Amino acid sequence: MTEDIITPALEVHDLTVAFDRKPVLWNIDLKLPEGKLVGIIGPNGAGKSTLIKAVMGLLPLSSGYVKLFDQPIDDVRKRISYVPQRESVDWDFPASVLDVVLMGRYGKLGLFRRPRKADYDVALDCLKKVGMEGYINRQISQLSGGQQQRTFLARALAQQADIYFMDEPFAGVDAATEKAIISLLRTMTEAKKTVIVVHHDLQSVTQYFDWVLMLNTRLIACGPTATTFTQQNLQETYGGKLTLLSDVGDLIRREHFPNREGVIKQPKTI
Amino acid sequence: MNSLLDFFSFADPNIRFVVIGSVLLTASSAIVGTFTFLHKKSLVGDAIAHAVLPGICLGFILSGTKNPAYLIAGAFVTGWISLIGVEYITRHTRIKEDTAIGLVLSVFFGIGILMLTVIQKSGNASQSGLDHFLFGKAAALVGQDLLVFGTVAVLLLLAVFLLFKEFSLLAFDKDYAKAIGLPVRGIELTLTSLIVLAVVIGIQAVGVVLMAAILITPAAAARFWTNKINIMILLASVFGAFSGLSGAYISYIAPAMPTGPWIVIVISTIAFISFFFAPKRGVVNRLLRQRNIRRTINDENVLKTLYQLSEESRNFFIQRSAEEIIRRRRFSLETLTKVLNRLKRQGYLEQTGKHWSLTEEGKNRGQRVVRIHRLWELYLTTHLNIAPDHVHDDADTIEHLLTPELEAELEKLLNYPKVDPHKSEIPYA
Repeated sequence: MTEDIITPALEVHDLTVAFDRKPVLWNIDLKLPEGKLVGIIGPNGAGKSTLIKAVMGLLPLSSGYVKLFDQPIDDVRKRISYVPQRESVDWDFPASVLDVVLMGRYGKLGLFRRPRKADYDVALDCLKKVGMEGYINRQISQLSGGQQQRTFLARALAQQADIYFMDEPFAGVDAATEKAIISLLRTMTEAKKTVIVVHHDLQSVTQYFDWVLMLNTRLIACGPTATTFTQQNLQETYGGKLTLLSDVGDLIRREHFPNREGVIKQPKTI
Repeated sequence: MNSLLDFFSFADPNIRFVVIGSVLLTASSAIVGTFTFLHKKSLVGDAIAHAVLPGICLGFILSGTKNPAYLIAGAFVTGWISLIGVEYITRHTRIKEDTAIGLVLSVFFGIGILMLTVIQKSGNASQSGLDHFLFGKAAALVGQDLLVFGTVAVLLLLAVFLLFKEFSLLAFDKDYAKAIGLPVRGIELTLTSLIVLAVVIGIQAVGVVLMAAILITPAAAARFWTNKINIMILLASVFGAFSGLSGAYISYIAPAMPTGPWIVIVISTIAFISFFFAPKRGVVNRLLRQRNIRRTINDENVLKTLYQLSEESRNFFIQRSAEEIIRRRRFSLETLTKVLNRLKRQGYLEQTGKHWSLTEEGKNRGQRVVRIHRLWELYLTTHLNIAPDHVHDDADTIEHLLTPELEAELEKLLNYPKVDPHKSEIPYA
């Protein structure tokens, strides 16, 4: 079910990620082309967020490797951008909307250096793109859910990256904003950017995404939406036929078994 | 009073040392402490503070002098070992971080006290004054100490200045910092080293036991006053410096007094004042705001009742008695009298003897509340499919809350309806 791509933006090879030894992602192999809007779908606990975190090197891998633009992740950090889940941070932090968006420039700035005037220009421009220009100096604790999401989006845009990982960017966003964000993502993919979105709403998949990645602990399918988002694949992804896999995972944890022969590592609690 | 003048004229070089020293110590601890606080590592600060005691004793035993350079080195080493201990326990056992911190803190402190007792019993003449590290003694600062502590304090400030944006980002969103390729591990190590250093020099002023207070309390107090991180740091350092200065002064006029507890009392007083009286985030302000909300609700309910009483007759300016209002809507007579008088003062009501009537403004405000109430009921039934007999209580709250902008939006959304779900007329101005 996985298509072959000559110059992939993202290549994942034999990726396994385990929490407390139990694999949450199992033997993931996939390639994603450049310049596409890609949706990651799957039921709760399928490992969608884990996949993008593992790809960005935020989680230890039990096996496998990840390549972005045919290079190891640490060589292309400046080309990748991340929109974490909104709930992953404490919004009571003493910062304004502009402060948060400027964080998108920190990667380019490097250590020790303060944001320059040009960085402020980029940040303001990105705030305009997401329609938040009226909230520049607003304290982030006073934002609504949708505004927080748009602030995060602006921060990601300010990175001026080539590949974007977005973890549920539509959570808590009203329908009008969702449309606006999607058309923004469209213009980005038209400019050859790759945008990978963890998505929850099956209704809008065909309308939003060029490619779709269907996940439930293992990769069910990955390919152009038209040919991949099929009834059969949906059934496999959401049908609950994978209880055997989950049972084996539990067994690995209980027996303190390594995920791969020969690699016995201390368990890491995450 | 004389001592105050003596002290603040700074004529005595010893006083100068003590003042500069304690202000530097407390201010730099407060600045590093702001990031400790924002990184939610307050407890870790406390663990380090207790864990440096064995290091200080070890430094003394090995060098045989109270030279601060050796003591700092020893403190730094055991401070770090304690942190590694906490991390190791959390990672490799089922023990959670708070328990691990508690364990490490008490074990290290116990060893420290044990060593201190051994040293004191050893009869070594140069040991006197080592126990100042328990409760601190700013007045014990002399020129040589000041040089060492001053250098460390300046180093701390420089490091915080240089890594300001990195520390902030890590405190807010660590995963993101990793994703964009910042050397997160290195930055965390630096921050932890800064905390250890701040503790090591801070204990000179307040002692091991109370160190966490000057690390964390200034930041906690400052957080009440501002939403801007740079102002928060500035405020924390001012609070810290002020408490340090007070401690030094007390140390000077009453040498028998332990400095540390006094510094902590001053900074805690500042924290309490912040907690209660800070604008916006303070408790008193919140209570006041709640009282205002309650008042608004009562006021508007009375105006609404007066408006509704006259809806049939369409003569809104009829004079009515308090009893008439109570018959329509339950108020205690006492509350109602207060509300009526307040509304009169505000120009919404007029009083003739025992009777009250709406002014034009009072009628408009009452009408607005009725309008929002009915619009909201309609909205709930038409847009959220809630049964008409379930919408009243909700609307009773919303009617006092809605801003004019939301009201206009609601009107537009419902297309300026004429009647609510109960066939009551929706009045427009």
